[in-house]
Parts: sequence; C-alpha cells; structure tokens
Amino acid sequence: MNFFEKLQALDRRYIYIVVALAIIIPLMVQYNSDVVTTPPTENLYQLIDSYAGRSDRAILISFYHDAATMPELYPMEIAILRHCFERKVKVFTMTFYAAGAPIIDFAINTVKEEYPDIQSGVDYCNFGYKIMPMITALGMGDNIATAIDTDAEGRKLANLPIMKDIVNYNEMNLIIETSGSSAGGTWITYARSKFGANVAVGVTAVMAADMYPYLQSGQLIGMLTGLKGAAEYEKLVDVFAAYRDENFPQGRPFSNEILRDPSINKLINITTQTQAVFSPQEYQAFLSKYPEQAVSLDNLKEDKDGQVVFDVTKISAEQQQELGYNAWTALNKKTYNILYKFKTARIGMNAQSIAHIMIFVFILIGNIGYFVTRKKDKKV
Amino acid sequence: MSFETFSNLVAAFFTLCIFSFLYKDNPFYQMAEQLLVGISVGYGVVYSYERIFIPWLYQPIFIQHKYILIFPALIGSLYLFRFSKNLSWLSRYPIAFSMMGVGAGVPLSMHAGILVQMRQAMVPLETVNLLLIFIGTIAVLLYFYFSKAHTGIYGKFTTIGKWYMMIGFGASFGLTVMARISLLIGRIQFLVGDVLKLIK
Repeated sequence: MNFFEKLQALDRRYIYIVVALAIIIPLMVQYNSDVVTTPPTENLYQLIDSYAGRSDRAILISFYHDAATMPELYPMEIAILRHCFERKVKVFTMTFYAAGAPIIDFAINTVKEEYPDIQSGVDYCNFGYKIMPMITALGMGDNIATAIDTDAEGRKLANLPIMKDIVNYNEMNLIIETSGSSAGGTWITYARSKFGANVAVGVTAVMAADMYPYLQSGQLIGMLTGLKGAAEYEKLVDVFAAYRDENFPQGRPFSNEILRDPSINKLINITTQTQAVFSPQEYQAFLSKYPEQAVSLDNLKEDKDGQVVFDVTKISAEQQQELGYNAWTALNKKTYNILYKFKTARIGMNAQSIAHIMIFVFILIGNIGYFVTRKKDKKV
Repeated sequence: MSFETFSNLVAAFFTLCIFSFLYKDNPFYQMAEQLLVGISVGYGVVYSYERIFIPWLYQPIFIQHKYILIFPALIGSLYLFRFSKNLSWLSRYPIAFSMMGVGAGVPLSMHAGILVQMRQAMVPLETVNLLLIFIGTIAVLLYFYFSKAHTGIYGKFTTIGKWYMMIGFGASFGLTVMARISLLIGRIQFLVGDVLKLIK
C-alpha cells in the first residue's frame, strides 16, 4: 500500500482532528490580518452612514434566524448595531421567527453595554416578534406605528420619541434582513416592489450564491456574505464610525482613500493593544482636556523615542479611579484596542483562512491520490 | 457560580454531546438532538401563546370586547381538524382564506423574481461582466432546451452553458465549505473564548 492509498484509507476521525486543530490554534494564537472590503458591504455601510444624525431617517434590522446560524449572522448584527449607535442612526429591530426574539435582545444588550447614552424608544426600538410577514411588510408601507402597534416591551409605538418624523418606508428607508434561508424575500417582494424601500441582506455564505442575482439586478443595495461580510463590516466601523479626533468627534464619513491609507493599520489590529501612544502635541491637547488629572498622567507616562507612552496594563484600579471615568476611557481608547465582541468575525476569519488552506491541500492530495491510484489500476 | 457561567457550562456540555457524533453515534448525541427538538417546539408553543394568542385574540375579545374576532378565530381553529381522519376536510377552509395572501403575493413576486431579473438581462452590453452574464444566460437556457439535439455548433454553445453551471456549482460548494467552517469556528470560539476564557 503506497502513501496515497494509505491516505485514501485514512479514518475520517483523524481528518476531524486536523480540522479542529486548524481552527483552534489560529483562534488562540491571534495575529493581525487585513480584511479587504467589497462593494456590497461598502454600499450598505455608506447608506446607513448617510442617515447619521438625521431624525427623519431610520433603518430596520430583521433577525430572521435562530441560534443555529448565529456564528455567521450575529457578528453582522453586532457590527451594524454598533455602527448605528456610534453614528446616531435610528434603528428598529424585529423578527418574524419566534426563536429570533431572544437573539435581538442579546445583540442589543451586548452592544449597548458600551453606549450608556443610548436609550430604548429614543435611539432604537425593538418591535420584537411579529407574525404575518406579508401583511406587516405591506402595512408598514402605509404607517409603521399602525402596522406594528406596540413594541416588544408593550409600549404604544406612536407615543415613542423615536417615531418622531418616522412614518413609513419613506423615512425608514432601509431594511436589512439577516437570515440563513430566504433572506430578504418578504422585503424585496413587498417593501421594495410596492414602496421602493431599500433592501439589503446579511446571509450565511451557503445562501450567498442565491442572492447574487438580486444584488446584480439592483434589488439589493448591499449584502454581507457570511463571516467574511461580518468581518468587512467590523473593519469599516472601526476605521470610520468609531474613529474620533478633533475634526471628527462623531466618527468620520466613508472614504476609499482612507481605506487604502496604511495609517488605518493601527485602527484595525485585532491582537490585544495595551499602549496609548501620544506625540508631544497630542499629549498637550489631551492634558488640556483633563487638566485636573495632569499630575496623575505625568506620573504614569513614559517617554519613548520622543513619544509619550502609557501602558494601560500597568495602571492599577486605584490609579484608574484617580484618573476618573472620562480620562481613563479616553486613555484606553487611545490604545486602539478593539473589544473582543467587536472583532469576533475578524478573529474567526483568521481561523477560516487557515482552514481554507488546509481544505485546499486536502483536495489537492485527494486528487493526486485519485489519479495516481487510477493510473496504477490501469497498469494492472 | 453566576448564571452566565452556569448557562455557558450547560451549552458547552451539549455542544460536546453533539460533537461526540463525529466519533460515533452514542446516547449523549441522541439525548442532545432530541432535547433540541423538544425545546424548540416547547419554546415556539409558549412564545406563540404569549405573543400571538394573548395579545391578538384573548385580549381583544375578552378585554376590548371585539367579538367580531370570534369568526376568524373559529375559522382558524378548523386547522386543528387536520388531526381527524374523518373531518380533516374542514381544515381546507382556513387554507382557502390564506390563498388570498398567495394571490396578493403572485404579482409582486413575478415583478421581483422575473420581470426585474429579465430587465437586468436586457441592458446594453457595455462591460465585460454584462457580456459574460448575457452569454451565460442564453447558453444555460439553451442547455435546458431539449427539443433540439445538442450537436454541432449548437451543441458546443450549450456546452458553454454546462461550464457556466459547473463554475456556479463550484462557487456554491466553496461558499458551503466556508459556511460550515464558520459554524465550527463559532462553536469553538464559544468553547475556547466564552467558556475557557482563552481568547481575549
């Protein structure tokens, strides 16, 4: 029995072990890698971003899935919600699937932890579980408050502050459906065809091939494809929506030039970042914002190559208290460390890349083995 | 032990039960599989009762006294006769009413699924992509036209359609692999990150 014959007779359980290791190791040994964004993701990001700060625009996220497809769809939902909360875009959520209801709560609460100012009924509203997709989708084209009536907490929708300036699809002009099956079907058929609403989808990779015709015909304005789509969106949020400086205190608008600029590398590192680095001018500006903490900050800083550096891991709990919440948060932000929940898809994509290489090698070896064995059999 | 830790441990246990099928079928896998089915149904029933039956039927009839809703409720309850051999014909009445929805959906589905797609296939061939889509559409459609033998130049052109489909199947396969690996990544992220706290 030669090498290839042995491989073909290999117990499949050894292959499972190799697959598991190919995923576990890159997850535990993290490394920074870039995720190249694609037009369907960028288009969706730009449309949502164009609603930033507007009271007469809102988006709806329809969670049409259960826990089984969460690994691919949940990071998308987190990234979109984060984008909305960062840029003050009104966001509604709902599901036509009973098992999707707790996922909405989970997603909103997970993101909201980092945004204490965001309020239910003001900045976002969860419609919860609704039945009869067709009737609901058509009804919302006339009046959302009438079609939905009450939100998931039982509050009358018409009385909520978020509904000010929001009537129907003219205002809630973008519907994003995340689904592992017939994503966007209801919305493309009823909201898009009849009312001209913009529709986008977040789908599991296995469904993407079915959705491309809708994307190509312009019925979908954007699409997030599986874990890759989620990773792309996470990156865009970090580079633009979550970006802060003097010129852009509420995040900056999308730009292809910025995406190509190497300076964004420090914004998208997925390994744990612990050092806040300031140029002398930046440090002076920082001190002027927090003059009462100047002495504490001066005691904590280190000078490295003409830069002012803080290692946040060396700052004790007492010292953090001394700095106060605002200064400590601002200092932490300067490390550009991304919270785990906001980089899940990108960490997953590292493992995905290794797994794909491994599968490619399997296919290659399998094919070589097949042809070698066939040639040998012919000779016999 | 916090509730979060406890729930994570329960989820980790059942994840490992399901993964144990990779070794071979066993009682732990079967228990987890059947629990999943049972819990899903139970959750669906309770949630539908709370979120549909109570606010859409019970409260309007008994609190707001909208007695007209009794008629659709009665018609809807005829669905339950599916379980009776002799009276299952009664369940056709609510189905007949739901056909109204199908009727409303057909024109809009035609628009979204056929007319817009056709319109997009009739645009000027200004880019290479559009040309490729045009050739692919015609070639694949002709491949499924069986009233003419696939021979000669016609046969060669339909073979192009076959190649288009092969490329499509390859793309679908690649995306399927990606999706399945993503699901595994999600579970391992849960086990290694949320349960063991080894990912930061």
